[in-house]
Formats: sequence, structure tokens, C-alpha cells
Amino acid sequence: MADYILEAENLNYAYPDGTQALRNLCIQIPKGRKTAVLGSNGAGKSTLFLHFNGILKPQSGTVRFDGKEIRYDRKPLLELRKNVGIVFQDPDSQLFSASVYQEISFGPLNLGLPEQTVRDRVEQAMTATGINELKDKPTHMLSYGQKKRVTIADILAMEPQALICDEPTAWLDPKYAKQTVQLFNEISRNGTTIILSTHDVNLAYSWADYIVILSDGRVIGEGTPDSIFTNDDLIRGADLEKPWLVDVYEILAERGCIAANMPLPRDKEDLLKLMDCHDKSGGEQENYDYSTVGNARRERNKLSARCKGL
Amino acid sequence: MLNIDGFAYNNRLRHVHPLEKAGFAMITMFLCLGFSLPVISYLVIILMAAAIVGCAGIPLKIYLKLMSLPFTFLLIGALTIAVSVTTQGVDAGWLAGITVSGITVGLTYNGLATAGGLFCKSLGAVSCLYFLSLTTPAVEMTAVMRKLKIPSLFIELTDLVYRFIFVMLETADDIYISQSSRWGYASLKTSMKSLGQMTAALFVKALHRSRMLFIALSSRGYTGQINVLAPEYTVSVNNIILIAVIESTLLITAVLLEVGKIG
Repeated sequence: MADYILEAENLNYAYPDGTQALRNLCIQIPKGRKTAVLGSNGAGKSTLFLHFNGILKPQSGTVRFDGKEIRYDRKPLLELRKNVGIVFQDPDSQLFSASVYQEISFGPLNLGLPEQTVRDRVEQAMTATGINELKDKPTHMLSYGQKKRVTIADILAMEPQALICDEPTAWLDPKYAKQTVQLFNEISRNGTTIILSTHDVNLAYSWADYIVILSDGRVIGEGTPDSIFTNDDLIRGADLEKPWLVDVYEILAERGCIAANMPLPRDKEDLLKLMDCHDKSGGEQENYDYSTVGNARRERNKLSARCKGL
Repeated sequence: MLNIDGFAYNNRLRHVHPLEKAGFAMITMFLCLGFSLPVISYLVIILMAAAIVGCAGIPLKIYLKLMSLPFTFLLIGALTIAVSVTTQGVDAGWLAGITVSGITVGLTYNGLATAGGLFCKSLGAVSCLYFLSLTTPAVEMTAVMRKLKIPSLFIELTDLVYRFIFVMLETADDIYISQSSRWGYASLKTSMKSLGQMTAALFVKALHRSRMLFIALSSRGYTGQINVLAPEYTVSVNNIILIAVIESTLLITAVLLEVGKIG
């Protein structure tokens, strides 16, 4: 078993119109983890994803799935597509059927599964994405968020080892975006590798285990969220912004409101606990574990008074 | 057209097995077309109106409006059949006529009867089709077609065309709004120009969409055939018995009338 589910080595790809989308790109996606791919528009994210699924064939370089190089013959390609599923950005290009049920059954049927298994999988995928009540609705009467869920169910029903999602939260309202992220967390719990591209640095920072930054067809940075987002040069070079959590954390640390040498907080609760703990210990505590301190909110007023110097 | 689509997904017969609905509509239509009997046509029109308005719950006003669409068309068609032209002069079969320099134009009893019969027959057949399209969504029709072993190429095309009609309408609507918000339809001249540009843009977008669709389908293991499963419907014995009773009543009435006519 390889540690990396998908790997690309010296990948080059130019579109027929001459746009060089990928330049000597090397990347390794850790297995069973949540990876976020960041990069500005035209950085090559979608092109890379199409390589992972064997839709595009590299002009030079290799792509490996589970340690084995991809072969572009009919059978191995189908096998690859069974294991690597892509949810496309625009649901209207992915949804081909007017019936939600038919739409979801397409993928698993192509895997050659028996009818009953397909029906079970369709039901499971609809339950997981919370679209059971849309079963009898035509796709053209769904809202954008609902369509997006159907496209995710499309791929879930195929039960791939790696799920790739191109900008899953773009154009979604905060409620749907949050539910979508929760859904990815649930899928990830079954051991499925999840790769998503996004422009939302805050989402990437809080959600991902591993971050890859693409710029102009190259990987210009990869690593854990902490190491990526504390690297100011890298963030600036990729035309990205710092997540607000890292920003606030760094300012607070600078002003002595929290200890500077602690692990970075991953969400708002972490940050509040960190401030809370610092407050109680008077800034002495060195090795802090987020999980040991509860109910940070109770101390919030006291805390805000203390940090009023900001 | 869009209205019909909306009702197809939202009516009281929505969850009836599509094969039962299709069978009911088709057999009734064949009976209506097969027997040239005005009485049968009247019965079919009444039966379908009752099924559509009474059972499926389509508002009467909407149904009458829908029926008026073919009504005008049929009326004009029937009139041309009703009017006879002859050089033989007026005889007993003529209801009324005008003779100008040896040519008579007018109505005969026979012509009127043929026209009336045809009119009712067409209206009956149309109401059968309305029943099907108002109660059965297009996706379920294609599911029926699959069951009837109609070639898959034809079914796939029907499915895709149906789906992308809506995508295209939506796109056209977006373009129209964006154009008119910039005075694209302020005068006749700009309207013509905007319409032309919209048509061109739609072509380009359609091409782009088909390419994206192919990519998306391929990534899910598409190899040239779109295989899908339809949801399972429960067959209702009661419905089948009801349909059988209605159809055999119609058939017996028709046969008795035919026999009576010959006798």
C-alpha cells in the first residue's frame, strides 16, 4: 500500500490554444486525508484534476494512482474512474438527466454492479447528501445548492477511494456551504481521500489536513495548514490571503495576549480556549492542549476586558 | 409547454405507474381513432376531461385553455373539409350553396358530417395525449419506452434533449436579462441585433456544454451508452382493473354501434 493515493511527476500540459496549464508539476496527495488545493484562477487546478481522473493525458510526465502508473487503455481507465471521482464545478454540465434518481444511478451502473446493489447505493448516496425528498423532482426545478448536492451524490454512489471536488462551496450560501463541508468530513471518516479546490483560505485552513498551493501550473508550496499559512512570502506569492484565524492569532501573540509558542488554533473555539487559558495562567503556560480546557465562552468578558489594549 | 411540464410533476396521478397511464391513454386513443363513430369521440373527450380535471386535479381553466390550442387549428381544418365545390349544381344533399357561373360552393350534409366527425375524433385523440403529458413527466415516459424496448439511442436522445431544453432556456433567459439591462432591446434595431447575438452566444455555449458534459460523463465511466435505472413503481391491480373495465366498455359500445349501423 502506497502512502500517497495520487501522485504526479513532472506533469506538463498545454491546451490546444497554446495555454500552458501545467509546467513540470509534481504533487503527492496523502491517502485517506483531506487535501485542499489553493490557487488563483487559471493556476491549473481543474486541469490537474482532469489528469487525476484520466480525462486528460499528460503531454509529458506521469500520473500514479495508488503507486501504479496510470495506463490509458480502456479497461485500466475505467478502473481508475471507478476509484477517482470528480464533482465538477458547474452542476449544469454534470447533470445529464432530468431525473435525480436516474442521474445518480448512472455511475454505479457503469461499474457493472447488479441492479439491487445500484438501487441500494443510490438510496445511500441520497441519504448521505440529504436529498431524499428530491427523488421525484426534475433536476431543472432544483436550486443551485440542491443541484450541487445531487452532483456530490452522483459520485458518492460510485464509492470512489478518492473524491475530487472542484470549488464545492463556490456560489453556495453560508448554510449550504457549511453543510457541504460537514458532508465532506463525514465522507472522510470512512477513509475516503478528499481533494478539493477552493479560493476560501479560511475553509482550507480549518478543514484540510494537507494544503497544496498552485500558481501558474506549478506547485509553489505544500504542507500542513500551519506551515503553509505562517509562510508570509508564500502566501503573498500565490496572491492569497492569510486566514483570519492566523492573522488574529499572530497579532494577539505579538501583543502578548496569548502565548506565542503554541500550536496554531484551527477554529474559533480553539482560539478562544487559547486566550482563555492564557488569561487564567497569566501567560505562564507553555504546552497547551486544546482539548483539556472547556467552555471558553464563560470567560469571554473577562478576556475582552484584558485585551482592550488592542 | 413549460406549464404542462410543471403539471406533469405535480398532479394527483403523479405516483401512478407510468405504464398504466400510458396504457390507458394509448388504448383509448386507438379506440377513438379506430372507430369512426362520433359517439365514441364524445365519450373519449368526456372521459379524458374527467380523468384530467377530476382525477389528476388539473384546474379546469388550464385544461380548457390547453384544449383551445388545437381547437382553433382543428376548426380551420374541419371547415376546409366541410366546404364542397362542384360543377354539377345543387341537389338534395346540399344544405346551402352559392352558384357563380356554373361553379357551386357550399355545404353538403355529407361534408358537414365528415368534418364534424373528424373534428371530434381529433379532439378526442388530443385529449388522450394531454392526459399522458399532463400526468406523466418526460423522464417517466422514457422509462416506459425503455420497458417497451425502444432502441436506446432514441431514448438517450429524448432524455438529453429534454434535459438541455431547460438548460438552454435558462441560459437564454440570463443572456436576455443581461442584454436588456444594458438597453439591448430599447429599439427595434437594437432588439434585432441583440437577438442575433444571443442566438450566436447560445450556439457557442451549447457547444461548450456538450464538451463539458462529455467530460463529466466520461469521468463517471461513460463508454457510449447511457445506462440509468428508473425508480421502482408499484403496480396497482385496482387501476388495471379500472382501466380494463373502461376500455372494454368503450370497445363494446363501439362494436355495438358499428353492428347497428350495418344492420
